[in-house]
Amino acid sequence: MNTLVRRFRPEQIRELFLVFLILVIVVFFSVQIEGYFNARFANRLSTSVVVVAILAVGQTLVFLTRNFDLSVGSIVGVTAYLVGQTLWHHPEIPPLGAVALAIGIGMLMGSINGLLVAYGRVPSIITTIATLAIYRSFLVEYSHAVPITTNNLPDWIVELPAGKLFAVGQVEFRVLFALLLLVVVVFQLVLNRLPFGRRLYAIGSNPDAARVAGFPAQRIVFTAFLLSGGLAGLAGFVFLSRFGNISVLAGVGLEFASIAAVVVGGVSNNGGSGTVFGAFLGALLIDLLENSLFRWQAISEFWRDAILGMLILLAVAIDHVVIGRLRIAWARAGLQMTTKEPDEQTEEVTHVG
Amino acid sequence: MSTAILEMKHISKRFDMTQALDDVSLDLYPGEIHALVGENGAGKSTLIKITTGVYRPDQGEILFDSKPVQINNSQEAQALGIAAIYQEPMIYPDLNVAENIFISHQDRGPIVRWGKMYKDAEAILAKLDVKLDVRMAARGLTLAAQQAVEIAKAISLNVRVLIMDEPTASLSAHEVAQLFTLVRSLRSQGVAILFIGHRLEEVLSVTDRVTVLRDGKRISSRLREEVTIEKVIRDMVGREVSDFFSKGPANRGELLMSVRNLGKKDVFQGITFDAYRGEVLGFAGLIGSHRTDVGLALFGVEPADSGEILIEGKPCKIRSPQEALRLGIAYSTEDRRKLGLNMPMSITSNISLAMLSRYLNRLGLIQRRAEVATAEEFRRRLTIRSSSITTAVEQLSGGNQQKVMLSKWLNADPKLLILDEPTRGIDVGAKAEVHHMINDLAAQGMAVILISSDLPEVLAMSDRLVVMREGRQMGVFDHADATEEKVMTAAMGQVTIQQEVAR
Repeated sequence: MNTLVRRFRPEQIRELFLVFLILVIVVFFSVQIEGYFNARFANRLSTSVVVVAILAVGQTLVFLTRNFDLSVGSIVGVTAYLVGQTLWHHPEIPPLGAVALAIGIGMLMGSINGLLVAYGRVPSIITTIATLAIYRSFLVEYSHAVPITTNNLPDWIVELPAGKLFAVGQVEFRVLFALLLLVVVVFQLVLNRLPFGRRLYAIGSNPDAARVAGFPAQRIVFTAFLLSGGLAGLAGFVFLSRFGNISVLAGVGLEFASIAAVVVGGVSNNGGSGTVFGAFLGALLIDLLENSLFRWQAISEFWRDAILGMLILLAVAIDHVVIGRLRIAWARAGLQMTTKEPDEQTEEVTHVG
Repeated sequence: MSTAILEMKHISKRFDMTQALDDVSLDLYPGEIHALVGENGAGKSTLIKITTGVYRPDQGEILFDSKPVQINNSQEAQALGIAAIYQEPMIYPDLNVAENIFISHQDRGPIVRWGKMYKDAEAILAKLDVKLDVRMAARGLTLAAQQAVEIAKAISLNVRVLIMDEPTASLSAHEVAQLFTLVRSLRSQGVAILFIGHRLEEVLSVTDRVTVLRDGKRISSRLREEVTIEKVIRDMVGREVSDFFSKGPANRGELLMSVRNLGKKDVFQGITFDAYRGEVLGFAGLIGSHRTDVGLALFGVEPADSGEILIEGKPCKIRSPQEALRLGIAYSTEDRRKLGLNMPMSITSNISLAMLSRYLNRLGLIQRRAEVATAEEFRRRLTIRSSSITTAVEQLSGGNQQKVMLSKWLNADPKLLILDEPTRGIDVGAKAEVHHMINDLAAQGMAVILISSDLPEVLAMSDRLVVMREGRQMGVFDHADATEEKVMTAAMGQVTIQQEVAR
């Protein structure tokens, strides 16, 4: 038991549970729908999950500090439009340049959120609801409601979603999915291995203590919003490439999809706990469920959102009850280990000292 | 002795009406444990907050290492090597022990090296002779262990002055002993420790010097060998009682409420008293004695989980404020701002709020006129000073806010009125008015429970006085019997005076 407890932290148990749930869903629908899980479905899934999952990574950073970013949907819309327009008029811009532009535009908008929340001390829910509306209105005004269409875009970006690095049989490992995995791995490392990442957890875990702790808490919260904006910009680029047609409504509602993914993925809305990998699994789970319900004739489309809603409630309930208990059990086990085996402990300690 | 590491010279600090510190000087030497004691409100917290940069002094100067310094915030204090540990440790529950120790460090390189961090954390804990799994989340640690982590953090930051603000308040005796071992080992490493505590025996068992504050002034500062517990208590309480309301003998009416062995797990237990009509029953005790929790239990906010309550001879359960009100109990809270009043609302709305159903007409709408009439009546009766009853209560002075809150509960026509710190934060004049009011209410046949950390006040006002310490009832004193020394002695737990409950 002790070794088990030591090996798995509650968060990891939760991630395993998500993986398990994903498998259950796949098995369930495989029984229900004929020819459900084939290569085409896997390929479609790996493309459709990218936008929300990237947003969920950014949302995780903000969530860890006990904040929200509701403006990401509008940031996706604005970046997709601006990058699309730029490529329309300057098709010679290389792909990496377009990506950098998208991230830059997103960071600019994210920095406005960050300034208001971290330095202006405006609650994030108010700040980002306001910027959600402001960024969207900017898009409507700026675009004069002229949409961007696939015809206006250079070929490379339109073909990007189908681009693959390699394929195993018919299952393709696509470029955009690779991009997503890169983002997940990088930010998982950031959260685990950089002081910045650990301090995000500290701030959400005990904001009062963080204020007097001797590290720049405000700057860290600002940076979380900056990065969330930058990732939303990157998601905007993916959005543009995937859909090609960008109207003023591009990205509406994505903020809620990203929050749903983060919550289902086990990032606590009280801050302080959760992982990027969990958020990724949450996004995958929701996307899988959405796509599967879409193909399942037994259920009317009106129930689809309700089922997703229930999933979110279930996720939060699990977080509060099961994970809460696990945490306590885990902590107790740790205590027992330290009190019951003093000899081993001192040995270890002297060995170190 | 070597030169002082920290010298506070002639420090004064004033908040509105109160002189929190008046010309207080204090030296701290490396390798000494210096105890700071005094009643609630004596100025200990203010002095600590000045040392850690939360407040700045109005007058006086601070020398650190014989050089004058200005400490503007906690980061600057930390940079000098001043750290503070509070009763409630500032811990990050989601991070593990090692991270909690090192989270504030700026010098550990750009990448978190987990292995090295665990090793360093283990080395620091070993130096302190603390056995903890550094990989464990801080969430599950006991308070004592959390404090050990905070001390480890302070050491890792090369602390030179460590302030401990009532670190033992929530610890068991065994944990206190462990903590003191830790504190002594810190002393031997040359750290200067300023120790604030309420349990005098305990404090004197560990300290090298004792400084007593009273009413913002430094009364004495002596070596441990030169003092006794009695001497310290005398220094702490010796004060004129003359400006307080002196109370005539009460007309004890019939028995209203009997409480037997009331308890709430991990909060308080064994509370037993009788409250009579026409009497003021005082509750005294230091911070952490859980007086307020008894009040909250009687009003059903945080119901008790054992013991019995009899009202007029009938046993009853109080599970919510609604039930308490129905039984004729009203509770005026110590925290006006947070729990007592709706600050942006008018005087009228605040007074009628608890009894709104009384002002409804047949359609279920509020009758403004009746509401206003009540408010006007109370404004006259309690002389609430405001331009009109539509004034928002946040614009009133503390004393007038207190009167509005009293009006709110008097409007409920309670048989038993529980007053929690009714005079905290209000000026002397208003204080006297509140005291008169309490006396009038009792004279009219109401039973009053007065919870107060102001010892002279509760001594002067109460017909009988329940003294609590750490959730336990230490004794019940009659008015004639209750002297400051006796009550303080009971509140600090020198002798357990379990008197028979007065009938």
